[in-house]
Amino acid sequence: MSDCEKTNYIGKSVPRIDALEKATGKVKYFEDYQIQYRDLLHVKVLRSPHAHAKIVSIDVSAAEALPGVATVVKGSDPDIPWSDIPYGSSYYGNPAKDEVIWAGQAVVAVAAETIEIAEQALELVKVVYEELPYVTDQHIAMGPDAPEVVSPELGLACGYMGFCADGPNVAGSYKMTLGDVDKAFAEADVIVEGEFQANKKSTSQIECNGCIAEYQSDGVVKLISNGMGVHGVLKKHLLTMYPQLTASTLRVIQPVTGGSFGNRLFPTVEPLAVLMTLRTKRPCSYVLSRKEMFTSSPSNWPVFTKLKLGAKKDGTIIAEDFYLVEDAGAQIRGYFDGRLSASGLMCVYNIPNVRCDSYGVRTNTMPCAPYRGLGVPESEWAMENLMDELAEKLNMDPLELRLKNIIKKGECNPYGEKVTSIAIGKCLEAVAEGIKINEPCQQDDGPWKYGKGIAAGGKQNTPLGRAEADCLIHSDGSVEILVSCDEQGMGAQSALRQIAATELQIDIDRVKMTRSDTAVTPYDNFGASSRTTYTTGNAVIIACQDAIDQLKEAAGREVGLAKKQITIKNGKAYVVGSDVEVIDIKDLFKPFDFFTQQTWGLLQGTPVRGRGVFCPAPAVPWFGPGHEDGRTPRMWNWYQYSAFGAEVAVNVETGQIKLLKLFSTADTGNPINPKLVEGQIDGGVIMALGFSTLDYHMFEDGKMINPNMSDYRLPTVLETPLQKNIMRAILPDPLPDGPFNAKGCAESMMIPIGPAIAAAVYQAVGVRPKEMPMTAERILKLIKDKEANDAK
Amino acid sequence: MKFNAYYEPNTVEECVQILSEQGSDAKMLAGGTDLVIRLRSRVLKPKTVVSLNAIPELSEVTLKEDGLYIGAMARLMDVSKSKLLTGAWKIVKTGAGNVSSMQVRNNATLGGNTCNASPSADTVPGLVVSGAVANIVGKNGDRSVLLEDFFTGPGKTVLADDEMLVSFKLPKYADKTGAVYKKYSIRGDTDIAIIGVAGKITLNDQGEVADVKIALGGVAPTVMRVPKAEDLLTGKKLTFQLIEEAAVIASESCTPITDARATKEYRTEMVKVWVRHVLTDAAQEAQNN
Repeated sequence: MSDCEKTNYIGKSVPRIDALEKATGKVKYFEDYQIQYRDLLHVKVLRSPHAHAKIVSIDVSAAEALPGVATVVKGSDPDIPWSDIPYGSSYYGNPAKDEVIWAGQAVVAVAAETIEIAEQALELVKVVYEELPYVTDQHIAMGPDAPEVVSPELGLACGYMGFCADGPNVAGSYKMTLGDVDKAFAEADVIVEGEFQANKKSTSQIECNGCIAEYQSDGVVKLISNGMGVHGVLKKHLLTMYPQLTASTLRVIQPVTGGSFGNRLFPTVEPLAVLMTLRTKRPCSYVLSRKEMFTSSPSNWPVFTKLKLGAKKDGTIIAEDFYLVEDAGAQIRGYFDGRLSASGLMCVYNIPNVRCDSYGVRTNTMPCAPYRGLGVPESEWAMENLMDELAEKLNMDPLELRLKNIIKKGECNPYGEKVTSIAIGKCLEAVAEGIKINEPCQQDDGPWKYGKGIAAGGKQNTPLGRAEADCLIHSDGSVEILVSCDEQGMGAQSALRQIAATELQIDIDRVKMTRSDTAVTPYDNFGASSRTTYTTGNAVIIACQDAIDQLKEAAGREVGLAKKQITIKNGKAYVVGSDVEVIDIKDLFKPFDFFTQQTWGLLQGTPVRGRGVFCPAPAVPWFGPGHEDGRTPRMWNWYQYSAFGAEVAVNVETGQIKLLKLFSTADTGNPINPKLVEGQIDGGVIMALGFSTLDYHMFEDGKMINPNMSDYRLPTVLETPLQKNIMRAILPDPLPDGPFNAKGCAESMMIPIGPAIAAAVYQAVGVRPKEMPMTAERILKLIKDKEANDAK
Repeated sequence: MKFNAYYEPNTVEECVQILSEQGSDAKMLAGGTDLVIRLRSRVLKPKTVVSLNAIPELSEVTLKEDGLYIGAMARLMDVSKSKLLTGAWKIVKTGAGNVSSMQVRNNATLGGNTCNASPSADTVPGLVVSGAVANIVGKNGDRSVLLEDFFTGPGKTVLADDEMLVSFKLPKYADKTGAVYKKYSIRGDTDIAIIGVAGKITLNDQGEVADVKIALGGVAPTVMRVPKAEDLLTGKKLTFQLIEEAAVIASESCTPITDARATKEYRTEMVKVWVRHVLTDAAQEAQNN
């Protein structure tokens, strides 16, 4: 094996950098740091019991008088930052000011010596509300006469990018047209249409959102938080909200965290903890309870999709028309115009005539944020279900129909973007074969009926800003990579380390990762849209190349060769094209002692610092003059794809669905670490099994009625098939501009789970679910309705 | 989770004395799997907590002349594995084994699951069809109450402030008796039951139903019997149609509510399904016993 092959870690399942310390319980999560603060205050929050109400008065005098209470915060306090964003502060977890717009919104916060005292203090607070009309149903909220989610006098700006619709709650709209849709439908031989709904759900990461904010004597606030984006999210938002803090007096550290899945893309606890610490000059810890995670931290956005497809007899789909509404919750600001969810309906199939009519709407429910998949598992639920129906109408194999219509590499999608990496065909063929889709299930006389189904999914990567990396080559030849990308458990650090070791051609054991401390590590936005491997990965490569360049320069000077005659590998500098060793990197760093003079050049103790900055090319505008059709050659960045095959049993007496056998395939680009990718696939599949068949938010009187792990049914080991029946495969199409041709991989596997199960349910019991999750009750109702219909 | 006083009496008498002194300010701590959660969430704020964990005799399971005595503090894990629960008494083992997870069953007790008086408690329907009697000790003496009369509403029992449940008595069962409990939930035993159905059938020599009891959990304010369905079956030879009829009656007799676990319509429908399964299986067992 050549040196180069020895240090090629791409596609190798190198053990995770944090595996041992995680498995042995030695890692420190933010709560583990509480113990180092003897004078720590604990924050607890009183929350709105109403979906929409005016705050008439708040009396906190008794709470303030309670011994052990350090401070009480109300929305009307002068040090609460409202700035130019109406409601902005309360969206990020601070108490509401004049009006509460969802049940669970913060109203009063207390910092006290113990959690018990804080809770007791909250019970002493008297709030008088005047209830206002509310709307939690997204269909009602869309109407022109719907109850207004926010009172108009509070001045919530309507619309996104200037768009303002008829209804008072419409947050924005994205419309797109390709070709002549009406003409295409007129020419279609078969038309299918349907209305599909995906419900509200919580990411439910194991670790609840929390942080510790410490006021230091030099005026620096040190924040240890499990939130996302130490630079790009937390520091950015906190500096905007608290003008008394400066770029140099706010330090944000992310310790090991227990998941996010998009839930922490915006601050939820940090602003309040920082406010408390600024007031009291004492360290404050604020941790959400599990109930608060459900009612007061963001959920996904539910999506309603009305979709129509038209095809020729041979299965060529020629027309697509859809109306889609994202329920953004009590969204104060943000990006909700339907565009994100709509992307799922335009990234898998090559359809020449498409009309997209999509919206975002506000409701009086907890505000929404990304949930693994960014609204696409919710919208493709419609597409893939309808594809199965279309296949039946055409009397065609669902696999064949899909293969016939998928976008081929190099073709353009309906937006007009050229797709440079797509392996969905391979993925689909593999799952169909894996679950033997053409072999019918054995049936028996019992209540369980059996069926199989497949589905496809695609997910865009949003070109989300900048990532930086520093590559330090220490004078002992070892390497340290500094990054601020989020590590929410996916193994990003491990993959980035493999990228660095490969690029530097060095033994991976000599590469150390240092991450996510704004005082130490360089800028990164945040870990969203599966961007970390791609964006931060590219930055790491650039940083490594910069470091190599500096080493070449130093080595060249040392031995009297031009920089371009030097190559660096395995900790040594060589003459290009020769394996004759020139100089050991270590020897480039000059020793020094107390009296050494003229110490420029590389010096022991001072590492070479390579800098890397990577920014994906920005999107090309799709709005404004000249873009009336809403199309653009660059809406998104690249696409990840997945296919899924399921074998299920459905109980005709209870409506329960049991997953028997699963096969998931993913086109993640060239996988850096296959084992980590497989972990992502399995985790995603099980998470999606949950929201496809079990878990969702239930509302009654404007309030969520299942905000606990008992009634919010996440899948347990009992709901997942035996390990031997869970199969997965990585079937990549390398991405030309990805680091070592990798894409991201965290989301696409979520998408086809629900529709594949739905197709299997249809095969088993002949009903087509339209609402996700497919709970036992909903399936039983469909079965009963069918029985009643058949009896007619 | 704060309270003013915590007691750990060593005898039932001592415990009753404390209860009578503390009145409604006290809460009894058995396994704590329900109480501690409510203390922590501040739903309950008792001034005094009285632990029953230092009274060893409360955990005993004893076979006597007139039946089986199960101490109120018998852990559900122990009940679910007890070798003394034989024949038709096995239904009590099933119910205990259906409560939540292994970790919870290691702590939770039969008396606690009962006194918590949740309509969906898994142990109660089986105890009710077994004809269990609750033995109660109080300041003013002992009394025994048929378990089906023990509950007065969700979370409510006949126990006075100075009274405590000390044991259950299961009367002996007749030959040719089969008893079956089925819990219906979405995620197995870790979930609280959507409904629970217990059925006990005793057959006579002719193979007709000599005695039948049906108890439903999770569909009324307390665990309920279904006398109308029982009457229908008594004295008859069971057929599929008869069982189906009884199941329909049961589903029409219950008064479930809609909550986060299920709608009332779904609960009603599930009663029909599971009463059918329970009666079919109980009859089969009766034949074999």
